[in-house]
Amino acid sequence: MRTDIVKTYKDIHSWVGIIAGLALFIAFYAGAITMFEEPLQRWASPLTELSPPPSLERTPDLVDKVLAAHPEARKSYRVHLAIGAEQPARVSWSTGSRREPGITYFASLAPDGSLEVSTQQPSEVAQLIDILHQQVGLPFEHEIAMPIMGAIALLYAIAIVSGVICLLPSLIKDLFALRFGKNLKRMWLDLHNVLGLFSLPFHIVMALTSVIFAFHDQFYDAQRAVQNIGATQVQREGPPRGGPPEAPPELAVLEEALPPAELVRRIGQQMPGFQLRTISYEYNAEEGHHGHIQGGDPRYGVRGPTYGLGEVDTRTGLITEGDYLPGKQGPWFAAISSFFAVHFGNFGGAPVRWSYFALGLAGAFLFYSGNLLWIESRRKKERKSGAVEQTRATRILGALTVGVPLGCIAGISVTIAAAKWLPAGLDNLASWHSRIYYAVFLLAVLWALGRGAARSGAELLWAAAFATALVPIASLTAFGAGEPRSDATLLVELVAAFGAASFAMMARAARRRSVDGPRDSIWSATKSQAATA
Amino acid sequence: MSDKELTSRDWFGKASAAVVLGFTLTLALTCTFAALFSRGDSYFTAQGQMAMWLSSPIWCVILSFCFFFRSGIQAWTWLAAANLIAWSLYFGIRQLMS
Repeated sequence: MRTDIVKTYKDIHSWVGIIAGLALFIAFYAGAITMFEEPLQRWASPLTELSPPPSLERTPDLVDKVLAAHPEARKSYRVHLAIGAEQPARVSWSTGSRREPGITYFASLAPDGSLEVSTQQPSEVAQLIDILHQQVGLPFEHEIAMPIMGAIALLYAIAIVSGVICLLPSLIKDLFALRFGKNLKRMWLDLHNVLGLFSLPFHIVMALTSVIFAFHDQFYDAQRAVQNIGATQVQREGPPRGGPPEAPPELAVLEEALPPAELVRRIGQQMPGFQLRTISYEYNAEEGHHGHIQGGDPRYGVRGPTYGLGEVDTRTGLITEGDYLPGKQGPWFAAISSFFAVHFGNFGGAPVRWSYFALGLAGAFLFYSGNLLWIESRRKKERKSGAVEQTRATRILGALTVGVPLGCIAGISVTIAAAKWLPAGLDNLASWHSRIYYAVFLLAVLWALGRGAARSGAELLWAAAFATALVPIASLTAFGAGEPRSDATLLVELVAAFGAASFAMMARAARRRSVDGPRDSIWSATKSQAATA
Repeated sequence: MSDKELTSRDWFGKASAAVVLGFTLTLALTCTFAALFSRGDSYFTAQGQMAMWLSSPIWCVILSFCFFFRSGIQAWTWLAAANLIAWSLYFGIRQLMS
């Protein structure tokens, strides 16, 4: 390949990489953690104050009592088949609308058969990490953060193509070479190349799907505008908004719906192998009886992060809408669902989730190593042209390359641990988790900027190790001994303990390097001390 | 094909062409796909969704390869020409299908 092409694309790769790299680190680190959103939610959620859920056969008794005492639940209530700390009751309902959700209520039956209702919410820390992932860590409104994320996703796509073009000429020579030795830049480059190339399909998938997640509304609007050119306009009149809310339906009407156990049986007959998780019973004057079902099937990828969706007739149990249900889709819908599934890694069960977790962490490391390479190559040029001091740009970027990733790691760990310590009755737990994350994150970034890359590198790695160790420590100290243990919560603790140990090892290595490493490196603490002295 | 070496200097001319004209080209191509395969008036059919999903790979390819153009002016000219062809194709097919 012509060298001028490679040179051009090397420039492109460096610049898009340096602009998008830190945001992508946050997206990938947080994204790797969302692979275990459900275990994390279970770990973080407080023990319910409700009595154990009634069996499915006894659920009609609970439903009758809920509907009699809480008419607002008659229009829509949910029956859950998978119950744990993250979903603490057999029956739940919510006030408000889909756009403006109100309070969610959970109900159970006391041993004497009386109705118990709780508004104690499961932890929202997993959603916070999901939002950090979706918005590449930006603390803005969704509408503002998403286009920025989309722009970063487009840069990411350019970075992938330009990186491959740079690598192509020396592919055979460099691919299996991992030259650990005197030349540290060579080693980092080899590592960056091998990681990037072997996870290339994963990165292509992530870039293309993220562009869609960011811009789907804009794409749809533009396409609809084109399709409407010259077409006869059909005026669609929706139901008048803002009218008086529909009165709750009469109890006698709702009795036409099948009891949950029978409905579950009939759905199972139509979809063998489908693991049903939630059924909603809904009724309004316009649509009559209907319901939504949620669940998964490890043999298929699904449309949501962890579940597929469908509609049933709650009087007959017939599935009326299966376009988003695993195994019920036509080829076109199955193809669309597969795009979601390859982003969420929700097919094939645990092995795929673990692979996505590893690929996500490897991706985060890829962006970190890219930043290091940018700094290293700029440093060299400066030395050749005679400059002794590193430029301010190199110093600041060096500090951010340390502060942003480690701030993100420490912030996520602390806010997860805080789930066990924040009082359960606190108003707006979600915003508390958000505040804690951004406080730790900002502190780490400021620390890195103030102390410089070399010294803060080791210090912030220790901080990240300590913050991550807080997760298993929080398990041991909070809530006392009544806490039910499960594989899911053990998984969270083991992964956190392993992460903390890894960060501590890295901290020791970074400390060694800042003392013993080459003095002209930006990672050397000896030189910067000499400069200030 | 060229005696002039490719550089990254005129990146803004090329990238802006790929952002603006690349997007309209993507729109023409994906709407052509929808016109060919989508049935019914709802734009949210599976085929309609597929047309929306195709926007991402097409636009990303244009953005990634636009730096092969030798100058910003070339990028704008070629992409404008491609737009003209793609939009003619789209309206032609719509005429035929109706």
